[in-house]
Amino acid sequence: MLIVVDPHSGVPVYRQLMDQVKFHVASGLLKPGDELPSTRALSTELGVNPMTISKAYSYLEREGIVERRPGRPLVVKALPGDDLKDRKLEQLGESLAPTVTMARQLGIGDDEAVDLFRRLLAESGDGGAAGGGLDESGDGLPGASAGGSDGGASSEEDGP
Amino acid sequence: MRTVEFHEITMAYRKGEPVLDGVGFAADGGDVIGLLGRNGAGKTTLLRIAMGMLAPQAGAVRLFGLDPREHPLAVKQRVGYVSEDQILPEFLKVAEVIAMHRQLFPSWDETLERRLCERFAVPPGARIRTLSKGQARQVALLCAVAHRPELLVLDEPAGGLDPAVRREFLETAIQLLNEEGTTILFSSHHMTDVERMAGRVVLLHDAAVLLDNPLDELREGFSLALVPVAAVDGERLRAMPGCLGLREQGGAWRAIVREGPAACRERLAAELGVAEARCQSLPLEEMFIELVGGRS
Repeated sequence: MLIVVDPHSGVPVYRQLMDQVKFHVASGLLKPGDELPSTRALSTELGVNPMTISKAYSYLEREGIVERRPGRPLVVKALPGDDLKDRKLEQLGESLAPTVTMARQLGIGDDEAVDLFRRLLAESGDGGAAGGGLDESGDGLPGASAGGSDGGASSEEDGP
Repeated sequence: MRTVEFHEITMAYRKGEPVLDGVGFAADGGDVIGLLGRNGAGKTTLLRIAMGMLAPQAGAVRLFGLDPREHPLAVKQRVGYVSEDQILPEFLKVAEVIAMHRQLFPSWDETLERRLCERFAVPPGARIRTLSKGQARQVALLCAVAHRPELLVLDEPAGGLDPAVRREFLETAIQLLNEEGTTILFSSHHMTDVERMAGRVVLLHDAAVLLDNPLDELREGFSLALVPVAAVDGERLRAMPGCLGLREQGGAWRAIVREGPAACRERLAAELGVAEARCQSLPLEEMFIELVGGRS
């Protein structure tokens, strides 16, 4: 499995593992029924504490991403079609959350930020279809709403 | 019964200057504890006390419930120990050193011995004095783990080793952990190794335990707050509950706060009326420097 950990980043290793498995599931690299490596195998391969791997695996199980069967490897759970799209949006939301915080800290208004995002999407090329999908669910991104509420303390009037 | 227990350990090499003063913590089966601290913080002293090589002046240490100085044999058969300055008999050949250890330990596993010999590729016929530093440490590790100890004590095991040998070392320890649920107590200045291996971190400073927390908690429950010096009085910031350390750099206070970034920002706003703080989680190395870097 394509997993890389950076023990030196501020993000706990079990979270890095969870994020990457979720990303692989959302992107379709890991499909329903695919097996995950055993705790032992992955721990040896990555050179990290096995407890860290089992922690990540049990959280993934709790979140319904993978399924545990007695005496067998963990497998990726099957998903209804809509869930996969939700998951993709959730992934994107998680990586946008820090951007939202930064926009607040820089005092950039919502409209300006959204315009910038649109422009970047347009510049990246092949994006027409994706643009439509973003509109209808833009306010539903889980990360974005969380970032918005805690950034509220320092609003636009901080500027000179 | 706990694998290792330190109770109120006190030790001074010079009168009135304790290296350890009331240090206590414990570890159970499968725990991996990274022992951190600056040079001279007492890490080696504490590990030698655990091995029964030094007697504490006050307090007690128990391994598997036993005092290592009263039951040296019973304890040592269940423990593996590697230190940076370990001395193997220089005039002996690698195979002879291994044979010597094999006879000492009833639980010696020859399959594991062969596996590690192949993995490390140290020539069995070579004399210890002709080995490189990395090779000698690998022989020491082999001798420390081939009896499948319940507790592995590693004192700066990676000190002076190149990254490839260090990684090899780490993987061997992890493998043992996977197979046996071995408890590992190790000191290190290599924060990346600690971040890979440790489930828990114990930081020694000023002869005491400054931090004893699960590694994930250090990442999620602590943050570095950067506050412009003009925004708040330093003493008020230092006195804020949860503030563990504070220093000034480049016109900003750098405070280590026992709270995740979002909660830290809220606390600063609520308690000190600071709105312009930047709070972020931080890698272990930065936390180490912020907490103990400036004050020795």
